[in-house]
Amino acid sequence: MAIRLAALAAGILATVALSAAQSAEPEHGGILKFYHRETPPSLSIHEEATFSVNAPAMAIYNNLIAYDQHKPQASIDTIVPELATSWAWSKDQTQLAFKLRSGVKWHDGVAFTAKDVKCTFDLLQGKGEDKFRKDPRKDWYANVADVTVNGDDEVTFDLKRPQPSLLAMLASGYTPIYPCHVTAAQMRTHPIGTGPFKFVEMKQNESIKLVKNPDYWKKGLPYLDGIEYTIISNRATAVLAFVAGKVDVTFPTEMTQALINDIKAQDPTAVCEIKPINVNTNLIVNRDKPPFDNAELRTAMAMSLDRKSMIDIILQGQGDQGGSLLPPPEGVWGLPPDRLKTLPGYGDVAKDREKARAIMTKLGYSATNPLKIKVSTRNLATYRDPAAVLIDQLKTIYIDAELEPVESSAWFAKVARGDYSVGLNLTGNGIDDPDQAFYENYACGSERNYTHYCNKDLEKLFDQQSSETDLAKRKQLVWEIDKKIQEDVARPILYHARTGTCWKPYVKNMTIMNNNAYNGYRYEDLWLDK
Amino acid sequence: MGTYLIRRFLLMLLTLFGISVLIFTMLRIVPGNIADILFDAAGMIDVAEKAKLEHELGLDKPIVVQYAAWIGGLAHGDLGYSYVSEKPAIEEIAPRIPITAKLAGLALLFSVAFGVPLGVVSAVKQNSKLDYALRVISLSGLSMPAFWLGLLILMGFVKYFGTIPIYTDPPKDFWSALWLFSIPAAAVGFRSSALIMRLTRSSMLEVLRQDYIRTARAKGASDQNVNYHHALRNAVLPVVTVIGIEAAFLMGGLIVTETVFNIPGVARFLVEAIRWRDYPIVQNLVMFIAFVAVSINFLVDVLYAALDPRIKYA
Amino acid sequence: MASIDIAPVPVTDVARGESLWSRIRYYAAAHPLGVVGAVIMIVFVFAAVFAGAITSYDPIKTNSLLALAPPSEAHWLGADQMGRDIYSRIVYGARISLAVGLGSTFLGCLFGIVLGLTSGYLGGWVDLVVQRVVDVLQAMPLLVLALVMAAALGPALNNTIVAIAIPLIPYTARVVRSNTLALREQPFVEAARAVGMSELRIAVRHVLPNTLAPLIVIATAQLGAAILTEASLSFLGLGVPEPHPSWGRMLSESAAEYVRTAPWLVIFPGAAISLAVFGTNLFGDALRDILDPRLRH
Repeated sequence: MAIRLAALAAGILATVALSAAQSAEPEHGGILKFYHRETPPSLSIHEEATFSVNAPAMAIYNNLIAYDQHKPQASIDTIVPELATSWAWSKDQTQLAFKLRSGVKWHDGVAFTAKDVKCTFDLLQGKGEDKFRKDPRKDWYANVADVTVNGDDEVTFDLKRPQPSLLAMLASGYTPIYPCHVTAAQMRTHPIGTGPFKFVEMKQNESIKLVKNPDYWKKGLPYLDGIEYTIISNRATAVLAFVAGKVDVTFPTEMTQALINDIKAQDPTAVCEIKPINVNTNLIVNRDKPPFDNAELRTAMAMSLDRKSMIDIILQGQGDQGGSLLPPPEGVWGLPPDRLKTLPGYGDVAKDREKARAIMTKLGYSATNPLKIKVSTRNLATYRDPAAVLIDQLKTIYIDAELEPVESSAWFAKVARGDYSVGLNLTGNGIDDPDQAFYENYACGSERNYTHYCNKDLEKLFDQQSSETDLAKRKQLVWEIDKKIQEDVARPILYHARTGTCWKPYVKNMTIMNNNAYNGYRYEDLWLDK
Repeated sequence: MGTYLIRRFLLMLLTLFGISVLIFTMLRIVPGNIADILFDAAGMIDVAEKAKLEHELGLDKPIVVQYAAWIGGLAHGDLGYSYVSEKPAIEEIAPRIPITAKLAGLALLFSVAFGVPLGVVSAVKQNSKLDYALRVISLSGLSMPAFWLGLLILMGFVKYFGTIPIYTDPPKDFWSALWLFSIPAAAVGFRSSALIMRLTRSSMLEVLRQDYIRTARAKGASDQNVNYHHALRNAVLPVVTVIGIEAAFLMGGLIVTETVFNIPGVARFLVEAIRWRDYPIVQNLVMFIAFVAVSINFLVDVLYAALDPRIKYA
Repeated sequence: MASIDIAPVPVTDVARGESLWSRIRYYAAAHPLGVVGAVIMIVFVFAAVFAGAITSYDPIKTNSLLALAPPSEAHWLGADQMGRDIYSRIVYGARISLAVGLGSTFLGCLFGIVLGLTSGYLGGWVDLVVQRVVDVLQAMPLLVLALVMAAALGPALNNTIVAIAIPLIPYTARVVRSNTLALREQPFVEAARAVGMSELRIAVRHVLPNTLAPLIVIATAQLGAAILTEASLSFLGLGVPEPHPSWGRMLSESAAEYVRTAPWLVIFPGAAISLAVFGTNLFGDALRDILDPRLRH
């Protein structure tokens, strides 16, 4: 009998112990260490446009609404409340009203009110007295006529026409709420937010330090005491530092398949995930300058591309073919594969190249008389490598291209004044959303429409899909537009890259998003199992 | 001696002036300025805003005016503000100087500590197996790209010791600082030591053949005596000169080593500042480095003149 | 900086009547390490010149099927991440290294000689001005100068050559100047003047050849240094751009990612650089031993 009791007791103890190990309650404490590849220009998210800024800075802020940080595919369906507790569209879909949370404090103790929302959007739209030095996403809010405040806890957006994508934009990591009582200049040097972590210091070329916000409005969070980024510009050193355990996480999206193989060979316990980052490599073609003012030539070039080969060589297979929008299944809006295959250059490569050669011959070029052009690109490996492969592929259709590496800081100005014929470009999409993709890159007169592609009829379709509230109908419109853009050879998309992040097994609750690289860094519930 | 020194000092000032003009104009010839870079990083060009930023920073004034403003500021200690961090340039530069100084000092120490004795041994035992072996080993250090040596060291540490001797936080005490800086200093020093060894060897060889050594030997002084007292003293002179030259060449090795070992010193900072076109930082830092290099050369000249009265002051 | 008195000896101080070949044999026997260095250098020059004959693949052509292929019968040194044959790239890379080394040495020595000769020979305020220029060039850290130049001129093979040549100028100028200063007072120069030779002719025909000895030594050392500097520039993101196969770029670009998973990408360029520089150093050392008259027994 005693033995049976003892056995029972042992069994119960074992079960309790087992379940305790499995349920793994988050532990408080510890500092999470990342490495960063470069000094970010500032931590004022509104003034910047690179995930070098979003990754360290998102933890400092909150938005009105945000994408659920643990759902990899960010979309309108995964939006959760942050500083707003609820929201509703008006009947005619032109007004979006938010009810705001009370009891939220800025990091310096001042209370958060609806006025802060208005101040933020005044800054974004350039309406207020204080101005941003740079405002890269001003055009996101071109459709917002006004932002009105009702008391301390209600704010309404008045739109000129319906735009369901406004929610997607507001939820983006790019849309934190800024305080009224801090100037834009100060936000660049010492940002104040309402987020789970407070800014401590940023030493140029050395480190970024964030510390826990003890008064965070989500009680019990964050679990970590702080987050630190050590800036290591040399990638070989950075990877070694991760393997040796000096840092716990690599810089998000930095790891290629080759590096991950390298890391796993040295530290098999490391957790690595490769996901699409919604950054696509594309060709910008100068349609204003000969020879590419000739539409047939552009089509021929589009048909010479062997995308699979490029993906295999440059990304070791970690990439996807697609149109302007990230392809499914990770992308919400991308062209499905059956439609993609019908586009020039996406089907049978050999056949397409033959057609392309026929066009080139007709235009007077041949193997002995090739078309000589320069392929310009930024002088960085991520740009040069695909350019080298591109040059190789263009040889198959009698184009003899020479690489013209351009110093990074001079790239923009060069492209803006049209001083190129073909360029290799990377486009990062902040959110997986057609409004952002189309208006930024293909609208007449948009700053980032480098090729000056201007199709007024198509722009009417942009507006049409933007106001369309029925999701199914909208998708069809989006596909139609995407198809047309590719057929026009506006900006041939070479591939959508997949890159990875690695972290040590004791870092818990890390979720990497699979359709963007700008929205998943709030880090409020990460914890260390040490 | 006095007039010689004064003349040299004045010439030194002239050189520094030349350097200031050179770096100033070179920076402005290089395409792209901070406004270009900041707006490029933000993925946009708003011409009006960019012009405003340039005006704010005084970049639209004529070059001579900008130069005068810089030198004027320098004269009363105002180094301007970093374009990137918007903090005073002196606050960015000053804390990093001691870090590089420690690294450079340790490197120089290593290179002399290895180079001189090995050079002496190599000279005394000229053409022996030991001589060949030493020369081959030291040359191999000179034949590897600096970053490769650094990376090999890091990889070795990670593989065999599971740690990595890079800088992530400021070292807490003297011993951990020494440990942290020794390894990169040894990497830089190994390469410099080859040069010093070579020079020590050849100047020792030359001196060993001088008449007065033969005389000393003839007089019956022991080999030991001859080697270490007479020869070494006279061999030191060119070595002192080379240390002067090395101080300038060291900078290149420091840039790469600081990058590989992630040390936040002025060398690495300079490279970053050039990338950012952070003019105040680059200009002032280059002036500082040039000042150090020129001063070292000046000191070397003084030392040289003091040590060897045979030298004419050309 | 005070001038180092390198007491020059006219080149005619070698045993007359001996053939060039027997002289070379004598020197070779006395400096076995130098012979090793010379052989290494000859091998690389041969590879550079006859690259087409000794390789069978295009060093620039990418091939996704071959990516990261380990060394095999078909590809002796394997293939890199873009499927390019590494052996071919190393051989053609010798051309780039030779171009960078010879080009920068030639440029640097040319300007150095002009500066050193004029300032040493003419003296006076010309000397003062040129000396300051030389001081300025020398006080600027080499890599910084190269960085700013590469940034200013853009990444290109020619610009890299220029950028690496510039720090050589002050070094050469100093040596030539100090030699010129000493030679200027030598009796044979006085004699030439007495006969009525123009200063320029004296400078070029009598003074210059006697400064060649240290110059040759500097030049051989510079060959190796240029290759290493190009590697450092590649590491910092500058240097010789695509598609030229540069050893320095091959090494710095693959060092991070492939050293464990595909070491042949890293080992062979690294070995090529080390061997080439080692060879030039050995040869240069032997050359200095031979040409430096103070060390003659």
